[in-house]
Amino acid sequence: MAAGGAGGNSGGKTYSFKVVLLGEGYKLIIPPLPLQASFLTKKLNITGKRVNLAIWDTAGQERFHALGPIYYRDSNGAILVYDITDEDSFQKVKNWVKELRKMLGNEICLCIVGNKIDLDKDRHVSVEEAESYAESVGAKHYHTSAKLNKGIEELFLDLCKRMMETAQAEERLKGNGASQSASSRRGVQIVDDEPQATPAGGCCSSG
Amino acid sequence: MIRKMFRCQVELRAYWRKLKAFVKTLSLQRQMMENLIIAKARQDALQRKMEERRLRLQEEANRRFAASGAMTAEEQEQRTLYTSVLEYEQDHDWPKLWKANMKENPNDVTLVSRLVSYLLSQSDHPVVKLLRKHQYRVYNRLYPMISKSLPQSPNLLLRPSCSTHTLLHPETQRKPTSTVSSSSQSVSTSLSLSPSLSHDLHANCDNEEGEELPAQATVDRENSFEDLEQFLTQMDWAPPHSSRGDVGSDSDPTCDSSMLNEGHTQELEMRALKEHLKAIVKDIHIAIDQLLSLCLLSFEFLNTASSKDLCLASIEEAFFTPLWSALVALFRKVNREREQAFETSMKLYRDASPGDVGVPLKLFPQEPGTLQGSYPYESAVQELKLLVKDCCPQKKLECIVRTLRVICACAEDYRCLHEVDSTPKTAAIGADDLLPILSFVALQCQCPQLVSECAALEEFIHEGYLIGEEGYCLTSMQSALAYVESLHTGGAHFPADKLI
Repeated sequence: MAAGGAGGNSGGKTYSFKVVLLGEGYKLIIPPLPLQASFLTKKLNITGKRVNLAIWDTAGQERFHALGPIYYRDSNGAILVYDITDEDSFQKVKNWVKELRKMLGNEICLCIVGNKIDLDKDRHVSVEEAESYAESVGAKHYHTSAKLNKGIEELFLDLCKRMMETAQAEERLKGNGASQSASSRRGVQIVDDEPQATPAGGCCSSG
Repeated sequence: MIRKMFRCQVELRAYWRKLKAFVKTLSLQRQMMENLIIAKARQDALQRKMEERRLRLQEEANRRFAASGAMTAEEQEQRTLYTSVLEYEQDHDWPKLWKANMKENPNDVTLVSRLVSYLLSQSDHPVVKLLRKHQYRVYNRLYPMISKSLPQSPNLLLRPSCSTHTLLHPETQRKPTSTVSSSSQSVSTSLSLSPSLSHDLHANCDNEEGEELPAQATVDRENSFEDLEQFLTQMDWAPPHSSRGDVGSDSDPTCDSSMLNEGHTQELEMRALKEHLKAIVKDIHIAIDQLLSLCLLSFEFLNTASSKDLCLASIEEAFFTPLWSALVALFRKVNREREQAFETSMKLYRDASPGDVGVPLKLFPQEPGTLQGSYPYESAVQELKLLVKDCCPQKKLECIVRTLRVICACAEDYRCLHEVDSTPKTAAIGADDLLPILSFVALQCQCPQLVSECAALEEFIHEGYLIGEEGYCLTSMQSALAYVESLHTGGAHFPADKLI
C-alpha cells in the first residue's frame, strides 16, 4: 500500500536520507575507511528502490554537546548505540533520545542499539529494560555485535524501510505533484532519475 | 595681344578643368546619395526582417512556455530572455556546432564543462549578459553596506561638521585598535581611503577639502571589479569601531554626544545589516537559479542530473569570483562579535598543545623532537589557510573536505608512532576525535575570518551537498569554530579538560 502513493511516477526514485550516529557507533559499526572523516555513505536497494544513506557520526563529548543540534538538523534517522556491558552508556542514550525528540519531533526514526552482544556474560543492561524503554519512546531496539558483524546489516535495512515509509507518508500528505516543491530543507530528498522533458515552470522556483 | 589671348586661354582651360572636376564631384555626390538611399532602403528591409524574426522567435518562445497557463512576471522575463537566446543563436554558429558535437559524443563528460566555460566566455551571449546584470545588481547593493563599514559610524558620516572633522583629522577618530596583527601598513591605506568616501557623500558641503584628497582614493562606482577587489582588500583590515573607549577619548566634543547613543545605534545598525544580508543572500539564490535555468533552456541536453551540477558549478564560479570579497566583507560585519571571540581564544591558546583542546594523547606526538621543527597537524593547518584565498563557495568547501582528510591521514601517522608493535590496526577516527583536532587546527590557523567564511558557505552550499561529505565537513568545521569561540569564556566548561 505504501508504494503506490508517491504521486504516480514512483518508478525510478532515489531516496536520500541522513542518519546521525550517537554513542560508540562509529568505531563499532562503520568499517574503517582511509582518509574519510567520521562520515560514510551507504547505497542500498530496498524493494526495488534505491536508497542513499549519508551517515554522520557526532561527537558525544560534553564539550561539544552544545553543538549537537547543527549535526542533527535535517536528519531522517538516528542510531543510538550503547554498550550492553556499560550502564552509563545506556543512560547517555536516554538523554540523547530526549534531545532528539525535542529537536526533531516524531518524524525522526530512532534506533536504539545494544552493541557487544558477544559479551553477553558481562551484560549490565537487561534486554527487557532496553526493549521496553525503546518501545516507550517510539524507538526500535536492535542487538548487534560489531566484532562478530552480527545484526548490523539488518539494522540498516530495517531503518531504511522505516525511513522510506515515513517519507512516503509525508509525500502522500503533501498531495499529488508535490515532489517538486520539496517544501523545506528538512526531510527526504527525492530525486527523479529521468531528466524532466520540459524544463518549463517550476525549474527555477526550486530554490 | 597674342600673349594676352594666350593667357586668357590658359585661364579658361584652368576654369574648364575646375568645372569638370566640380561636375565630377557632383556626380560622385549624387551617386553617393543614391547609394545612401539604397542602403537606407536595405537597412529598413533588414530591420523589418529583424523585427519579423524577433516576433517569430517570440512566438517560438511563447510556444515553448505555452504549457504553463497564466504568465507571471517571472515567466515573462524568462520568455524575453529565451527570445534573446534564440536571436543570438541565429547570429552565431557555435551553439549549433556544440549541440551537434554533444549529440555525437553523449558520453563525453568533459564536453559539458568545456561548453559551459566557452559559453561564459562569450560576453554577448544572453546568459553572460544576465550574469553581469545580476552581478552588478548584487554589487550595487553590497557597496553602500560595506563602504559604510569604514570606521566611522554612519550617523557621524551624515553630519557635515563631523565629516569635515573627519577629513581634517582622520587619525584622531580611528585609532587602529588592537585587532589583527599583520595589518599596520594596510590600515594606513584604508585611512586614506575613507575620507574620500565621506567626501563623496558630502561633495556639496565640503568642496574646499577637495585638493587634500589623495588622488588614488577616489572610488568610482562604475569602476571595474578589479578596482573593487583592490578596494576591498584594503578595507578588510579596517579596524572595527566598536571599542568606544578608544574612539571617545580624544575626539571632538560634538561627536561625544552621539557616542552615548552609539550602543543603541549599533544595535539598530546590526539588525539592519542582518536584514540586508538576508535579502542579498536571497537575491543571489534567485539570480543563480535564473542563470541556471536560462543555461538549461539554451542547451537542453544539459538538463540531466550530472550535467546540471557541472553547469551550476561553473555558473557559481563565474558569479561569485568577482563578488566574494565584497560579500564576505558584509558577512564579517555581521559576524564581528563571533570573530572577536575567536580572536580572543586564538591569543589565549596561542601556545596550546593539541591536548589542551582535548585531542587524545595517542593522536599527537608528545616529544617536541618527533616532528622536526613543525607542529602537529601542520599540514592540515596549511591546507585550511588556503580557504580564504579561494573565491567561490564550491572550492572553499572542497578545501574544508581536504583539510579533514589531511587530519585523518595525520592522525593515522601519529597513532602509528605510538603503537610500537607494528600491527597497523587502522581504525578511522570518529567525531569524538575529529572535533578536538579540528578545533586545534582552526586555532593554529590564526584567521578569525574563517568564522565569516563558513557562515557564508552555510548560506551558499547546495542542498544536494548538505547531507553529503561536504555538508558533514562544513558542519564539523562550524562546530570546531563555535568551540574555539567559546574557549575564552569557557571557564565553566573546560578546566577539567585542561588537566588531561
